[in-house]
Amino acid sequence: MVTQQWKSQAKTAGQAVGVIKAVTNKVPDAAVVLGSGVAALHDLLHPVVLPFEEIFGIAPTVAGHAGSVTVGQLPEKPSVTVAVIRGRYHVYEGHDYNTLTLATKTIVGWGVPRLFLTNAAGGVNAQFDVGDLMVITGFRDFLNPKYRETGLLEAAMAPAVASDNALTASIIKAGQHLAAQDKKFRPLRTGTYCAVSGPSYETLAEIEMARRLKVDAVGMSTVPELQAAAGTGTVAAALSVITNVWSDDKPMGGHEEVLEASKHASRRLDQLFRYLLQN
Amino acid sequence: MNLAKAKIFDFTGASDNGSNFKEYDASVAEALRQSVENKLAIVLDYGWGFKNKAPHLVLDHLNLSGSNPLRGPNNPIGERFPVVNGIYVTDCDLLALQDLKTGVVAGLKQGQKASASELDFLYSMGAGFYSYNLVPTMLVAAHAGWRVLGVVGPDDAQSTTGSADWRKKVLQGISSN
Repeated sequence: MVTQQWKSQAKTAGQAVGVIKAVTNKVPDAAVVLGSGVAALHDLLHPVVLPFEEIFGIAPTVAGHAGSVTVGQLPEKPSVTVAVIRGRYHVYEGHDYNTLTLATKTIVGWGVPRLFLTNAAGGVNAQFDVGDLMVITGFRDFLNPKYRETGLLEAAMAPAVASDNALTASIIKAGQHLAAQDKKFRPLRTGTYCAVSGPSYETLAEIEMARRLKVDAVGMSTVPELQAAAGTGTVAAALSVITNVWSDDKPMGGHEEVLEASKHASRRLDQLFRYLLQN
Repeated sequence: MNLAKAKIFDFTGASDNGSNFKEYDASVAEALRQSVENKLAIVLDYGWGFKNKAPHLVLDHLNLSGSNPLRGPNNPIGERFPVVNGIYVTDCDLLALQDLKTGVVAGLKQGQKASASELDFLYSMGAGFYSYNLVPTMLVAAHAGWRVLGVVGPDDAQSTTGSADWRKKVLQGISSN
């Protein structure tokens, strides 16, 4: 079985921290996880790049996910060290919960104080536009592999979980500042993210259900990472890049469309992260 | 649309002239990944919790099973992230189907029985009943480029007449199409 094979190759978070510390003695001020096709912070100074396979023992299998960790200094403020994690592991690839949260546990074990998570998500909120950035202020977990044993009814009937901490507040504040300073910077959205297992996209009936549950965006990641960081010394917050907005009278695009929309929003995301990391 | 050429996936155990699946398993996925001329599947499944206790032509689904049969390495027959809208056949002019009610099915975990409050929740989310086998079959079918005509109806125990004869009517209607 594939999952079993991955399990035997996967390192523990402690082992992963050991691999990183063998090549860099720096503990980053912040870590940034970049999801499908999301690009930012490409020009760190003195970068040390490690592939996922070397750190975690397994490589991601999805187009748009490079699967690497880059540690370097922010050009605008070299005293700030940042770890940029490009890619992540997903349930739809067949991974278990330990693997989904391995990178986050590694960030926590490494002692990184701030973790910014990003993902590409489908907009359920009809007010959203393609290319919007949404700060996740609440989430629903329909993704946990444990639901294969129990079904999803209980999770669907439960209320959304709040995800608002000091880091979330600082992102919202930074967004307001940038939007006031720069007319090209689209104001940030806030909302509830629903993590689903995929890999198939949602049916129109499922989108309607998400709307009735007051979900604003749907994606296939991030919630396990937020859960893994909760209650640790690492404060985590997340942003969704809205890559399409579901409408009854428009056909749904595929993964290529997701990657294309991510590219356009990435410039603003890059601007936002540079501001957050300098302040 | 020539329904007579469609492949029948009958999870009611009532078919004697085609595939007869007790519940969704790997053999269903294998059958859907075979190369055939007419990529149309007719799926018959038992359902429960009907708002209207009658067989229904399925218009769409909510997957609340907690599983997705496409999880794991992608089968190269289809996209890694398949779009699964517009897969259900809902515009069929077959007489045997015209009498059917229509609705959205919730796919639950195999064997899970919804309580009264869970049923209320399903109704409030847009579903009119639930079943176990249609949703995973549809997902694999859509991934492999098939369309699906799904009919979900009550089993013998729920039927007011004591026999789920809707299966026979649908199958006869299809074979005489």
